[in-house]
Amino acid sequence: MSGPEVLVIGGGPAGIAAALEMARAGLVVTLCEQAPRLGGAIHRQPNNASRRVSVPRAQRRRWQALSDALAASPVEVLCQHMFVGVEGNGVVLIEDRANRRIFMRNPAALVLAVGGVERVAPVPGWHLPGVVSAGGMQVMMKSTGRAPQGDVLIAGSGPLLVALAAQMVSLGNPPVAVLERSAAPVSPLAAARLLEAPAYLVEAAGYLLPLVLAGVRWRRGAAVKSIEATADGRLSVTTVDSGRRERRLVVDRVALHDGLRPNSNGAKASSSGPFVVSAGDCREVLGGVAAIADGRLAGRAVVAHLGGRPAAADATEAQLVRERRAQVTLNGFFDFSGPDPAELPDETVVCRCEGRTLGQLRSILAAADPVSPREIKLNGRFGMGACQGRFCTEWVASFVAHQRGGSPPSVAEFVGNRWPVKPVSVSAFIEPLAPHPPSNQSE
Amino acid sequence: MTNFPQTFLFNGTVVPFEAGEAIAAALDRAGVVSLGDGQDGCGARYFCGVGACQACVVSVDGTRMEACLTLAREGQQVRSIGSVER
Repeated sequence: MSGPEVLVIGGGPAGIAAALEMARAGLVVTLCEQAPRLGGAIHRQPNNASRRVSVPRAQRRRWQALSDALAASPVEVLCQHMFVGVEGNGVVLIEDRANRRIFMRNPAALVLAVGGVERVAPVPGWHLPGVVSAGGMQVMMKSTGRAPQGDVLIAGSGPLLVALAAQMVSLGNPPVAVLERSAAPVSPLAAARLLEAPAYLVEAAGYLLPLVLAGVRWRRGAAVKSIEATADGRLSVTTVDSGRRERRLVVDRVALHDGLRPNSNGAKASSSGPFVVSAGDCREVLGGVAAIADGRLAGRAVVAHLGGRPAAADATEAQLVRERRAQVTLNGFFDFSGPDPAELPDETVVCRCEGRTLGQLRSILAAADPVSPREIKLNGRFGMGACQGRFCTEWVASFVAHQRGGSPPSVAEFVGNRWPVKPVSVSAFIEPLAPHPPSNQSE
Repeated sequence: MTNFPQTFLFNGTVVPFEAGEAIAAALDRAGVVSLGDGQDGCGARYFCGVGACQACVVSVDGTRMEACLTLAREGQQVRSIGSVER
């Protein structure tokens, strides 16, 4: 094979599906994954194969099919390789973390399949050590095969909360509670709407049954109001239910999650650069099944762009449409809106990187001369930190709309479109920039 | 423990890890939750697990890296960044 070279960033279902599709069409494919192992967030493989988190059977089979096909393909797989950015001249920079150096590729196309961004609604104390995103807790658990230690509270909204809780039960440390912000009733009628996506019903039952058996309550209509550090290094959490009753829980860890959103951070399109396509949850959050279909479609878009033979028509597009519909139904059980801004005190940290608070944002917004999103970023330093606004700007935008009225400014108005920020040492650049990485192919 | 016990140093304290484990996972198991002042002075800590939040950046043998994405290695010197380093 000596077709054009293409590069895929992200070794989850979308990235692997895209890589396979392009390899089948004769393109020379390299797939870079930042983690030590493939799988992405959903299929993350364990450090030790003998100790793994149990996942639904359908999910396991999907991964088996993808990884078998990848192993049988000519795709070059590079784990512990991070995407640094795309130069104006189209050169893609990749960091080889294990060998601590940067190398360059000049691909004809670049597929970004880096997954969605986890949303976590700010509440007082969400920035404290010991408070993690539910996805962060789950990915560590999938890697180590061990449940987090101590008393764990899971809160926010979304199916991930019950998935994480059920996996903790199976690993021997049930969470103390699961708080779901949505108070929408889970009636048989509502569940019947999911019949058009029976896989989700089976998956939900697979998560909820072990929770019931372990005596873990899925408290709907309940949320975290605030978190404080205790003198002995634990976390004191005030929760509030739909009847506005408050209670206090002291735990070791809190896992928060309020859904996912697409990841627009990444490569700035440049006229001389590679053809860039996004695939999977980073393009549109539709979950693991859709990510495979979307990856396939992204691969086909690249093949078509490079003048390759189009794939035979199949059900891939229809599958994406079906998953989009199922996702809408599924979202009806959840509430991703976060807390009412009016209820959040001024001391609530909004920017996790630099500790900028809601009170500081409120005073900027109270100025007679209305400030623009760029001014909120540059003068207020919201979205200026190392996370590049991934975890605050969406909430800053909603707070702006809450205080001023009107529709919220877009996240792009705050952050623009930039290379992902990563610490890359100067020495990694000073080492000769090699066109090819050394052969340290990982699984 | 089936794996050969390997260790790295976090601010001078010995932390055991298993083969293939990220620095953040080994620290978490050792009960280390706060990773120091952090690059923006707001406290380094594990949060997102996928390199997106950049909150777990520590110094690994003198180079800043995300603890969640960097594999632990035998004899590695891991240090907090912030006031300790500056």
